[in-house]
Amino acid sequence: MPAHPFFDPTEGTGAMNTHSPGSIYVARSLPAALDALNECGSAGAPFAGGTWIMRSPIRNEPHKHHYVAIGKIPELTAIRIDADVVEIGAAVTHAALASALADLPEFDVLATAAGCSANPAIRAMATIGGNLSTSAFAAADCVPALLCLDAEAEVSSRGDQERVGLERFLKIRPTLEPGRLLTRIILPRRDRKTAHARLPLRKSGDYPAAIVSLAVSFDAAARVRAARIAVGSVEPVARRWERLEAALVGRPLDPARAAEVAAELADEFTGRDSVDMPAWYRVSVVPSLVRRAVVAALDA
Amino acid sequence: MVLSLTVNSDHLSPATNPITPLVDVLREDFHLTGAKPVCREGFCGACMVLVDGVPILSCLMPAALAVDCEIRTVEGLAVDGTLTPIQAALEACDAVQCGMCFPGMVVTLTHLLTIKPGATRDDIRAALTGNICRCTGYERIVEAALLAVAVR
Repeated sequence: MPAHPFFDPTEGTGAMNTHSPGSIYVARSLPAALDALNECGSAGAPFAGGTWIMRSPIRNEPHKHHYVAIGKIPELTAIRIDADVVEIGAAVTHAALASALADLPEFDVLATAAGCSANPAIRAMATIGGNLSTSAFAAADCVPALLCLDAEAEVSSRGDQERVGLERFLKIRPTLEPGRLLTRIILPRRDRKTAHARLPLRKSGDYPAAIVSLAVSFDAAARVRAARIAVGSVEPVARRWERLEAALVGRPLDPARAAEVAAELADEFTGRDSVDMPAWYRVSVVPSLVRRAVVAALDA
Repeated sequence: MVLSLTVNSDHLSPATNPITPLVDVLREDFHLTGAKPVCREGFCGACMVLVDGVPILSCLMPAALAVDCEIRTVEGLAVDGTLTPIQAALEACDAVQCGMCFPGMVVTLTHLLTIKPGATRDDIRAALTGNICRCTGYERIVEAALLAVAVR
């Protein structure tokens, strides 16, 4: 039974203190949060912004018995911007992230992803860590943006800490052991142009049908030296588009050609079906989003 | 631990599950029915309240995380029966229709005019992207917000 002071619905009622679904411990430090998560085991989970967990009833998913709220932990709500690296605490909100990166053009892709997702009130609650840790949320804007920025994820548990590449983290996140918590995202700083293109059904407020995130660097002759492109919301998990990246390297970056190559390669995606749109539609808009992302990157 | 909440300067310790959405506690325990639980997904904005001065979707905030916060609902905005400037402007512009979205609209615009007293039409439209009006009465709401800006 957790030793931490959980808000517990049975308290004072005379009922057995069995921790009914939904008891919450508001952690004030990272060690305290990791201790509590460790004690809760599989009956517990971290609670960041809550924009996914609070909608569990709508998805007919039961709440966990215990939640450990991490939104008031100073080191998880901080963003550190150094000369060669940017470190983002997992409980940083989308709004705070967009604001912090607004004057760093190399991170336009992430500032746009964080600043355009959902609506203003959601952006003030939803966190970067929640966005990355929610395996079932295919339309997360920050995931492709971070993939194209070559992000690393720091995962902590009581007495242990490790860093893994984001692609690796996305693979292990559905089976992350209880007690392990995504604590930081680490981004290398590089000379590059970046852009984030998304297509929601309405101008804002909706989940995007598809997302294309792009980061490119150029050689002295203005040819693409390196490219990282990630596609989100089309398949269940965002991923890089390595064949398109390879096709862009060594040539000047041209929006029309990039869209043309994207159209030729788009059949490697298997779109996901959903109530709001069919699978084929998600795939069909990707080349246009590639063109838009290239235009935006060139204008950056 | 028992929940203790402060809403419109009133204190109450509701006997509720800590993960109960704040909107339900406001309505069922505090009997403040201004905030509406419409979509319960954070899309519509009808449940918006101010938590420490910031607009929060009360359908997505568990009651336990509102402890030690100052919560203000639409019922707590007017002082001694005197409407706030945005409330007065919305009335003057006859912007209220069915009323379902309105408490959320008022809360969002109250915050916007606090942080951006000179808000433009674009600022107002951007701020309201998370407030859905099923009567589609947006234009008069935006005009009312511009009026509130102009009379300041």
